[in-house]
Amino acid sequence: MTEEALKNIYLKDFHKKNDAKFAPFAGYDMPINYKKGIINEHLHVRNHTGIFDVSHMGQILIPFNEENILALEAYIPLNIKKIISNKCHYSFILNSNGGIVDDIMISKIKFDNNEFVYIVYNSSRKQILNKIFNATISNFKIFEDRCLIAIQGPESFSSINSILNLPASMNFLNIQILQYDDNDLFISRSGYTGEDGFEISISNNKAEKLISDILNNNNVILCGLGCRDSLRVEAGLSLYGNEINEDINPIQAGLSWALDKNRLQDHNLNGSQILSKELSSIPSVNKIGLSPINKIMLRNQMTIHNNNKEEIGFITSGCYSPILKKSIGIGYINKLSNISEKKYVNVRDQYEEIKLEKIPFVKKNYKKGD
Amino acid sequence: MGEKKYTEEHEWVQLSGEIATVGITNHAQESLGDIVFVDLPTLGKEVKAKEELCVIESVKAASDIYSPLDGEVTEINDNLSNDASIVNQDAENEGWIFKIKVSNPDQYNTLMSLDQYLEFLDK
Repeated sequence: MTEEALKNIYLKDFHKKNDAKFAPFAGYDMPINYKKGIINEHLHVRNHTGIFDVSHMGQILIPFNEENILALEAYIPLNIKKIISNKCHYSFILNSNGGIVDDIMISKIKFDNNEFVYIVYNSSRKQILNKIFNATISNFKIFEDRCLIAIQGPESFSSINSILNLPASMNFLNIQILQYDDNDLFISRSGYTGEDGFEISISNNKAEKLISDILNNNNVILCGLGCRDSLRVEAGLSLYGNEINEDINPIQAGLSWALDKNRLQDHNLNGSQILSKELSSIPSVNKIGLSPINKIMLRNQMTIHNNNKEEIGFITSGCYSPILKKSIGIGYINKLSNISEKKYVNVRDQYEEIKLEKIPFVKKNYKKGD
Repeated sequence: MGEKKYTEEHEWVQLSGEIATVGITNHAQESLGDIVFVDLPTLGKEVKAKEELCVIESVKAASDIYSPLDGEVTEINDNLSNDASIVNQDAENEGWIFKIKVSNPDQYNTLMSLDQYLEFLDK
């Protein structure tokens, strides 16, 4: 992609002023890290709190009515009619084979006295999802005029509570609409780092003020997508384009927990028969966590081999784990491979031994209800 | 010790007698970001100028390090095996990577001076 074609997020100048280093990600020129660097930012999120601008992501508000629900339920493996208000669900947009067109966060919220479905989706899938939305649902609003700001880390509650006065009942995956500076915020207790945290949808023109207010807390720093990636790998979370794509279904991707199993009997759901069959048979691939024995880096797309150096899989995400102080990776191996046999990755034509690791690599730190 | 010379691959070289000390420039470490591993070359390895000799892994990517001169690897900076971030902290001194006994000293004069390197960076 040429540089001219890259889109800018609304607060690009703000990040520039804060010494962000930029790189293209999913069609946007995005802050990758700031002065402290990726490892320091990563550790800061695990130990304190960081702010991420993830405004490249798609946000859509869809009127909660029968036609729209029926249309959405053809793509989304949830009983949308019955989802309770103010709770986010991790789910998918599925193609006719049950493959993952996108992974999404979906919730039902009341806004201006009307009920809506609110979906946050990947920037890399905006074009294809917007096409689906345009063809199947009506009266929706795609938020081009809102930023999405993630506050992540064990101190995230205290760093925003003084500003936003959060309801005490707000636990992991709860979503609320709160007022800030005469503006409606959509705020969910969620994120993609494995830490406690919040994602806030806010009007473009109020976003910088909110970020500055939060940064007034000691020990909150701006963080870029560089550490967001190593944080989500440590937490064992899938990334669209790495672990998941149109050719892999949620069951193969080890994400069957996110499927409403009753919906697999519903012919209105894309790929329901395939998914239903897949669920009752041995999965064709296994998702694994891995780390190298020697001091080497695992990288995306490296191949995984057995003792005979035959290819048995590949790495979908490899990174350096600042917490474990070694490289870690997520990958797929085919179901026939012997789990106890020694395994290797091909690093620049050398076979380097790897060992299997439990996913997540680092314990999740969500604030669940009592 | 002679003045430092620089390559278009963002390495610095300092010649002392027939031994050249080689590292990556401060500019290079800044653009690589946090360096996590240095895959050091093998002692005794004979190389030609511009041949890949070892690899630096940063959190972002793997980068080849080329030999700036013909020669034989005589020493490697073992400190980097324990703490590769020394390259980030002090790329042009403590963060040196390897030393080679040069076999073709004339090549040294074809490398860039500091001024030339800074000009090269501006392009």
